[in-house]
Amino acid sequence: MNKKRFSPLRNEGVQMLLASLLCILGGLLIGFVVLLIIEPSGAFEAIIAILKNFFRFSRVNQRLKYLGQTLVRTAPLLMCSLSVLFAYKVGMFNIGAAGQYVAGACATLFCALYLKMPWWACMMAAMAAGALLGAISGALKTFRNVNVVISGIMLNWIMLYVTNTVLSLPGIKNPMSPYTIQIRGNSPTALLPQMGLQKLFNNEKSVTIAIPIAIIMAIVVWVILNKTKFGYELKATGYNYHAAKYCGMKENRNIILTMMIAGALAGMGASLLYLTGIEEWETTISSVPAMGFNGIAVAFLGGLSPIGSILAAYFIQHITLGGGNVDLSVYCAQISSLISSLIIFLCAFVGFFRLTMQNYLRKRDEAAAAKAQVKKGGRPS
Amino acid sequence: MILLTQYTLLFASVLMLVALGGCFSERSGVINIGLEGIMVIGALGGALVMKFLPVEFGGAPVMVLATLIASALSGMIFSLLLAVAAINFKADQTITGTAMNMLATAAATVAVKAMNTAASGGSDVSSDIIYTRARDTFIVRFGTFEFNWFMLFALIALVLSYIILYKLRFGLRLRACGEHPQAADSVGINVYKMRYAGVLISGILGGIGGIVYITAGVSSWKFENGVAGFGFLALAVMIFGQWKPLKIALAALLFGFFRALGNVYTGFDILKNLNLPSTVYNMLPYIISLIVLALTSKNSLAPKAEGIPYDKGSR
Amino acid sequence: MEQYAVEMLHITKRFPGIIANDDITLQLKKGEIHALLGENGAGKSTLMSVLFGLYTPEEGEIRINGKNAKIKNPNDANDLGIGMVHQHFKLVECFTVLDNIIMGVEPVNRLTFLQKKQAREKIMEMSKKWGLHVNPDALISDITVGMQQRTEILKMLYRENDILIFDEPTAVLTPQEIEELMQIMKNLAAEGKSILFISHKLNEIMAVADRCSVLRKGKYIGTVDIKDTTKAELSRMMVGRDVKFAVDKEESVPGEEILRVEQMSVASNEHSKDAVRNVSFSVRRGEIVCIAGIDGNGQSELVYGITGLAPLKSGSITLCGQNITKAPIRQRAGVMSHIPEDRHKHGLVLDYPLEDNMVLQRYFEPRFTNKMGFLKRREIRAYADKLIEQYDVRSGQGAITIARSMSGGNQQKAIIAREIDKNPELLVAVQPTRGLDVGAIEYIHKQIVAQRDAGKAVLLVSLELDEVMNVSDRILVMYEGEIVGEFDPKQVTVEELGLYMAGAKREAVKQ
Repeated sequence: MNKKRFSPLRNEGVQMLLASLLCILGGLLIGFVVLLIIEPSGAFEAIIAILKNFFRFSRVNQRLKYLGQTLVRTAPLLMCSLSVLFAYKVGMFNIGAAGQYVAGACATLFCALYLKMPWWACMMAAMAAGALLGAISGALKTFRNVNVVISGIMLNWIMLYVTNTVLSLPGIKNPMSPYTIQIRGNSPTALLPQMGLQKLFNNEKSVTIAIPIAIIMAIVVWVILNKTKFGYELKATGYNYHAAKYCGMKENRNIILTMMIAGALAGMGASLLYLTGIEEWETTISSVPAMGFNGIAVAFLGGLSPIGSILAAYFIQHITLGGGNVDLSVYCAQISSLISSLIIFLCAFVGFFRLTMQNYLRKRDEAAAAKAQVKKGGRPS
Repeated sequence: MILLTQYTLLFASVLMLVALGGCFSERSGVINIGLEGIMVIGALGGALVMKFLPVEFGGAPVMVLATLIASALSGMIFSLLLAVAAINFKADQTITGTAMNMLATAAATVAVKAMNTAASGGSDVSSDIIYTRARDTFIVRFGTFEFNWFMLFALIALVLSYIILYKLRFGLRLRACGEHPQAADSVGINVYKMRYAGVLISGILGGIGGIVYITAGVSSWKFENGVAGFGFLALAVMIFGQWKPLKIALAALLFGFFRALGNVYTGFDILKNLNLPSTVYNMLPYIISLIVLALTSKNSLAPKAEGIPYDKGSR
Repeated sequence: MEQYAVEMLHITKRFPGIIANDDITLQLKKGEIHALLGENGAGKSTLMSVLFGLYTPEEGEIRINGKNAKIKNPNDANDLGIGMVHQHFKLVECFTVLDNIIMGVEPVNRLTFLQKKQAREKIMEMSKKWGLHVNPDALISDITVGMQQRTEILKMLYRENDILIFDEPTAVLTPQEIEELMQIMKNLAAEGKSILFISHKLNEIMAVADRCSVLRKGKYIGTVDIKDTTKAELSRMMVGRDVKFAVDKEESVPGEEILRVEQMSVASNEHSKDAVRNVSFSVRRGEIVCIAGIDGNGQSELVYGITGLAPLKSGSITLCGQNITKAPIRQRAGVMSHIPEDRHKHGLVLDYPLEDNMVLQRYFEPRFTNKMGFLKRREIRAYADKLIEQYDVRSGQGAITIARSMSGGNQQKAIIAREIDKNPELLVAVQPTRGLDVGAIEYIHKQIVAQRDAGKAVLLVSLELDEVMNVSDRILVMYEGEIVGEFDPKQVTVEELGLYMAGAKREAVKQ
């Protein structure tokens, strides 16, 4: 080929986007079929309700308010997905993001409600707690060869019980309910500043700088991975651990550092949610919050790119909240988690999809090349 | 003490069944992170039979067998997701497994809620299935010790697994596929078929493990909670047991003991006097498994080719 | 007409962008040993894959024992009595010899229980008949390479195959083991088995084969009777031009000592015994010291110890007068370059573009990374382009080509460019020519000699005796982790070296 033809199908980004859209479509389709099976008559309305989320409101002001709330919950999800994809670039599957997120919630709420620290200190504490948990997984991997997935799951459960215990302490837990007390009334300095952002969303009070912070973090992660020496080393370690060692990168240190950063990202995600005051921790919760797991869905749906994650995080959060709008006397909100998990499952096929597409393109090229050869009368070499 | 033994044996049975399932899958070369999800779906299948099959219909033997078969089948069908993705489409086995775990809990919740909602006309939107009477048929009482038929099934599964893996032609071929699929292929063994067999067997055993787990101590189950990481504990048991049935059995007893402590520690004065919060006992199995893994994973005896999709072309 | 066991007539197999087999004809007579000669990439393995039904050829036909055969998969080939000893053994490491032999054709009872007793008797009988000594109950991981190969041969005989294919069977054997294998092959042929012997080693072909077919760049060059031909003619057919077997080089003029290794021991990953035991030697400026030995006698671990990939158990290393026994890899890499044994495992990040691989050893230098820790992409590109030009590294899209998509020879050239351009005092090259064609081998040998002539010290590890004899100035033989002999290549014969490599002879090496 002398001249490179421009073909959008050849672009890696376009291929990823196409693959992601197919995954979404597949997930929605199967979700719709499930709704049909449960009760055919309202299935179509239900799937539309999920997709519409806040668009169901007719008034613009109300839409803006709920858009704001969706974004508030998108920020932590984006952080969890950054955590997952950052670790994945170094070859580790950070299913422990869920536990690191819980650790972040524990630390941030403890600092906010018990120690009455200001928001930035609470956020630092959350990052430190997440990083610590990540470091344990990383160290177990490098020094003891423990599978990161399994140690991650174990730490998720351990952290859940620790958090429930810590946040049940008097002064943190509301004695009248299973929830922690509200930050807004008890420790206002711990609330994230709003900097006027709430005005954009019809004065929704949970809108804070959490949203821009999460987006900035996504950009920072992108820059680190693609533009810096550190990112070059991390990716080299992920692609080929032995080559990284061969050229003198501190491969073990890099793995632990990566897991620490991943943990810090997930932990920070928790502080970006709880420090807005939008919700409290439920101390009797008996399963690990889905935020970290959904982060996995987002990371893969976003094609493992930080920028793709921003869009994917919004989408997943959008349908998750939309799930609450189905007719609950017939369907249930978990239909959204079903769709998200279907999307991850389909994401596992992305590699296959791209390979098929590349093979198809190559075959097309070859056919074209063979034709050209025949015309010239030469043999292909 | 009897209670502790009883729970230890029950939880050990669960861990052993599921870990043996994992063993078959990994020995064939497929990492099965999705065991947790397989357990949930197996539990759902079994629980539905327990709910809807009248106890009067054939009594205990029919109930026990029908439940067993239903969970085995549900687990097996669900494991097809892993088989198809990992073997035919060469998908990443970790992502697939993780997706299966999330999918299983979500699907089970949606299914049970839909069922409850429809049955109650919208007043019951819980994800619980109650099976008090059916559960009683699983149990034979010797004094205060409650013998559960599934303990026997676990023992049978252990013996069969050992024979299948080490004495039968099938086992030799299965293990070859997990160690060196190219070698197996070169002597005419169909690697894809063997891996399917490995994954499906893990589905059967995982499914049975699921129903034993949810009927172990309680007579109703809330499916929103999945199986609380038990599938992963079973993976830890499998690793600790070095992918060998007999060692897996011993590892399962150890882990089962620590899990059982959480259920019955109040019955022991020494433990009660320690005054530890109950969450400590809840955490115990997970902490123990982390420690055990840290001590034993260094020189892993994992099948060499596990996790690597087999591609006939690359040799 | 003569009876042929195998006839492959006018086989053509195309791959994207390349014709791997272009109208190739191969005829194997019954009871003969027929050599198939060709360089790496000449199309030998494609042809064998066609014979085993792994690839379907676009044109041509296969006849077995005079009958047309449709071979769709290895099972069909097996049913036709064709068996193969692969270059990389297809043995399950944690299985016993017996399990490996019976795998796929296991004797079982009606309940499919394995009947190992029956199998053991048959194997022992065959083992005696053919002089193929094995211990059926030993694990593959515990036995020698020679015994592993005998296991592979027994695997074919157990299946009563009549057409036996040996794919580069001598690469891992000592000269004495090779001798033994040749005898076994002759015995098998005398008993009526037909043998196809794939090789690029002329001496062995001359010694054992009856006839030889030559392939070059996917084309069939011809078939000759061994008794009517010479080594020179065969090599001309294989390469397409006259090949000088000797490497042009001046007498070495060693200078001061660059590397000194004292009493070094390195633990083994696989065994409780140390992989390297109390090894001492030195390498001086302007000389090529070659570590010879059979694969797996501690050479890899020796290099790991010197380059820092593995910690020493005891002993010390001095490089340019500095004690580097505990120095981190990067500090050593300042004065030492390392062309690794396995270019895919250590040498390259296959999913990185070529330019990123070119700076793998120096990306952290101020030239390529600024003070803020950002990579200077423009500098990296310019540097990569320079190396690509200078060392003639060919790739599809230049600096941005993903390393995985490059040919083995060009991947190796890229590594050599990167390592030599670092301008080291010591060059450690481990099997730098493995799997490459004659042109690339000549090029790499020239580069290594040029480094020596530029006053560098070179430590070469090689399994190929030709390379050992032609390139080195001094030979150290390693056997079971120890250096058992030191030789001047001009004063030692290959046979003599073989005895040391096999552990049959040893001498106290002067330190």
